[in-house]
Amino acid sequence: MPDSPRHNLPAEPNRFVGRERDLDDLCGMFGDTRVVTLCGVGGIGKTRLALRVAARLVPSYSGGVWLVELARINRPELVVREIARVLGVPEEHTRPLLDTVAARLGGTRCLLLLDNCEHLVDSCAEVSARLVASCRRLSILATSREPLRIASELVWRVPPLDLPEPGAPDAEAVRLFRDRAAAVGTRLGPESQADVARLCRALDGLPLALELAAARTSLLSPGQIADRIDDRFSLLTTGERTAPARQRTLRAAVEWSHDLLSAKEQVLLRRLSVFAGSFDLDLAEQVCAELPISGAEIVDLLGGLVDKSLVLCDESRRRYRLLETIKRFAAERLAAAGEHEVVRDRHLHVLCELMQRHFTVELSERRLPWARRLAALTASRTLLDDQRAALDWAIESGSASQGLRLCFRSTGLLPVSGLTEIVGWVERLLALDLSQVPVHQIALAKAYLAYGLEARDELPRSLELATESLPGLADDRFRACVVHNLLVMVWLRLGRAEEALHHAERCLAVATAAGDQWNQAAGLAGLSAVALVRGRLREAQRHGEEALERAREHGHRWILARVATQLGAVAEARGDLVTAMAHYEAAVTWLRELGTGVELARCLARAGRVAALLHEFATARERLAASLSLSRHTGQRQGVARCLVGLSVLAEAEGDLEAAVLAAAAAATLRESIGQHSAATRIEELLARARAKLGEGRASLLWSRGRTMSPADAAQRVLDGERPAPADRAPRPRSARVPHSVLTPREREIAALLTRGLSNRAIAEELVISPATVARHIANIMEKLGYTSRAQIAVWAAEHPEASA
Amino acid sequence: MPLPTVVGMDERIVMVDSATGLRLTEGELDEWSAAATVQLRRRGVRLGDSVLICLPVGPHLLVATDAVIAVGAVAWPLPAELDACDLRRRILASHARVMISDLPQALDAADGSRVRTVVSVADLRVLAPSRRDADRR
Repeated sequence: MPDSPRHNLPAEPNRFVGRERDLDDLCGMFGDTRVVTLCGVGGIGKTRLALRVAARLVPSYSGGVWLVELARINRPELVVREIARVLGVPEEHTRPLLDTVAARLGGTRCLLLLDNCEHLVDSCAEVSARLVASCRRLSILATSREPLRIASELVWRVPPLDLPEPGAPDAEAVRLFRDRAAAVGTRLGPESQADVARLCRALDGLPLALELAAARTSLLSPGQIADRIDDRFSLLTTGERTAPARQRTLRAAVEWSHDLLSAKEQVLLRRLSVFAGSFDLDLAEQVCAELPISGAEIVDLLGGLVDKSLVLCDESRRRYRLLETIKRFAAERLAAAGEHEVVRDRHLHVLCELMQRHFTVELSERRLPWARRLAALTASRTLLDDQRAALDWAIESGSASQGLRLCFRSTGLLPVSGLTEIVGWVERLLALDLSQVPVHQIALAKAYLAYGLEARDELPRSLELATESLPGLADDRFRACVVHNLLVMVWLRLGRAEEALHHAERCLAVATAAGDQWNQAAGLAGLSAVALVRGRLREAQRHGEEALERAREHGHRWILARVATQLGAVAEARGDLVTAMAHYEAAVTWLRELGTGVELARCLARAGRVAALLHEFATARERLAASLSLSRHTGQRQGVARCLVGLSVLAEAEGDLEAAVLAAAAAATLRESIGQHSAATRIEELLARARAKLGEGRASLLWSRGRTMSPADAAQRVLDGERPAPADRAPRPRSARVPHSVLTPREREIAALLTRGLSNRAIAEELVISPATVARHIANIMEKLGYTSRAQIAVWAAEHPEASA
Repeated sequence: MPLPTVVGMDERIVMVDSATGLRLTEGELDEWSAAATVQLRRRGVRLGDSVLICLPVGPHLLVATDAVIAVGAVAWPLPAELDACDLRRRILASHARVMISDLPQALDAADGSRVRTVVSVADLRVLAPSRRDADRR
């Protein structure tokens, strides 16, 4: 598989100015310090500095550098969820999400950048402390107005930019101001030097304030801006340069910049504060066009805000966003204008409409090319953060009905997208006052809940809710069919083919009457699955083939993959492994297009197992390794266990019974730890063959060894096989103890003297140097050897007599 | 407060804390300032940097000063009894990036200055094994 990028850092919007020494220092700290928090007031440049540090550290973190933006999160329990989302870790129902995240991070060398922690500082502290304790090679860089106050934290206060001084006119603040002024086309000659210096001092060297001022240089000279700022600040300048004073300075600069906007620009700016993260023009037009501004004006108004540095945009001018400090200011203005509720209602409403459109195109509209369906799915996924913000508002404002409507259209929150987040949202919405909610919506809510719960393996609750929801869905045939299909799956998983058959038939009948291809395919796949468990292979094949035809007509990759997997299972049952393999491989291709990790991992494991049985060992290894890596990177133990079983089959097919037993045993242990049963027959048969071939004692020894082996080791044992291990998987050569040649001759001399228990003063006398110089040499030795006391150096020197000069 | 000691070293006394009567041996001073020196380096202190030290007179002050000199930095002692205004003035004048102090008034006075990190006495003494060391094992 191609290497995915090892970071999710955004491109920098403009040139980074100054702070060179700070960058060096901060990057250097991550060798020894696990948690660094950049603290300081809003607008001081914490986020920008952190992003720059993180970008520089990308090469040092083999496990990746991951930005987690917390500003958009408003509840403490969502901190872990957001980290999990960034890392692509879905929740396992058998353990807390934080444990799964910790397992995913494990021993990999990762850097998490937690941006804007201040409003959730306790939760961030708790999560950080826990992760740093369990993941020994994890580092955390946080930005916050307040420190996290955890044991391993190094608090780093972000200072303002250096101000010009006599003899040093090119200070950081001046360089930033000139750079940003040049960006709006202003050339500042030497005659402006004094005014620029005055302005930088008035703005306290605050980067955001400087940027806002520089954006105005196309109309006002630095001197004019400085005069106006001086007027405005005359009440503020008490000579204090404390944090509260800086906050006032920044506030005044933002207000000044805001007051210079046209009335309509002001209206747009405050309304933009409702977006969760970045947004595009289309969304801005739909949500913000309300008197006094019209949709057609928004493109120009937005451009004006970008020119004034109040809104940022990417290079292609497709996605826009507000800096956190500006967003908070804009949100205050929105509230002061009495528009908060109206605009957030509108945001919720617009998202409902948008998602409705995407949902219809993706799933229920007939005869559309796949490209259009995929575009709708992608568009709906880019709106996920806004959907979450809108759902939060629905809950906050008690609009259960609108909130539920949004949930019903959000494929991004459903298991189809690898998320079972829908459960939490629907539960919260159902806890609101439901007296105004139509019965049909309540039924649908239960159906969505049931859908999410099935994916979480909570079968009894899923069954109960799905069954309850059916009578209320008589008028919504598409979703009634979805519920029937869900019930087919649940009943089959509970081992009740009779009940499953009933729902598959119902689904097919309703979908056929409605001409609904998606559900026809799903219903037929259900019938095929029922026939398969009843051993009626020909019937299963016939239904499967028909399902594939319907799925092809619809074109959605998810339903195609689902049907292909079913046909693969039927072929396997027939003993036709070649056909099974072809079906699984097709499903893999389709799932890769969709980008849904959990299902892709499952399908890859199946393909790997069948390839092993076909003695296509290289393919088997490649598929199983890909599946294992997906499951490990998303912390899914069920997926890892499935791979181990596949690897056991592979090892046995290759004639390596020992590795087969080890992998099977490791899988059994892992499954027990998540409360799952293993297929007892395969294990019994495998053990019987192992006993026959290796002897009773050896077989049970291997079994017990495998049960205590880590899943990763057991898997590696098979994956390595007879082939030489690829370079990236080979264990790193254990670095030999530090060769003494890293020390300078003088340092070696001093190390040798330490073995004699001499003090710094005594060493200084012996070598005729000052005690301070001895101390410096000793500090150097400690750093080079990674030691923490003089005594350790003495022991090292004694063990390396060749080191003594 | 037990100080780290190295057995077999010269037991010469180099300081007596007049407030507590606690004695600091040469061995303890050497060991402790070595650790403190490494800590300052880890926080980015380099040759020629200014480091503020605002501590009451006593063994901690001695160790901190020794460590600052050992790094090759310039020590800027701040008398702990200065008022807020004078503290602030001197802190701003130093352009220091690092301050060694536990005193709340010094921490407040450093607010909004060029000081990036404040190192406490406890930070100077505790020397966590470095990452490089952990990776090697």
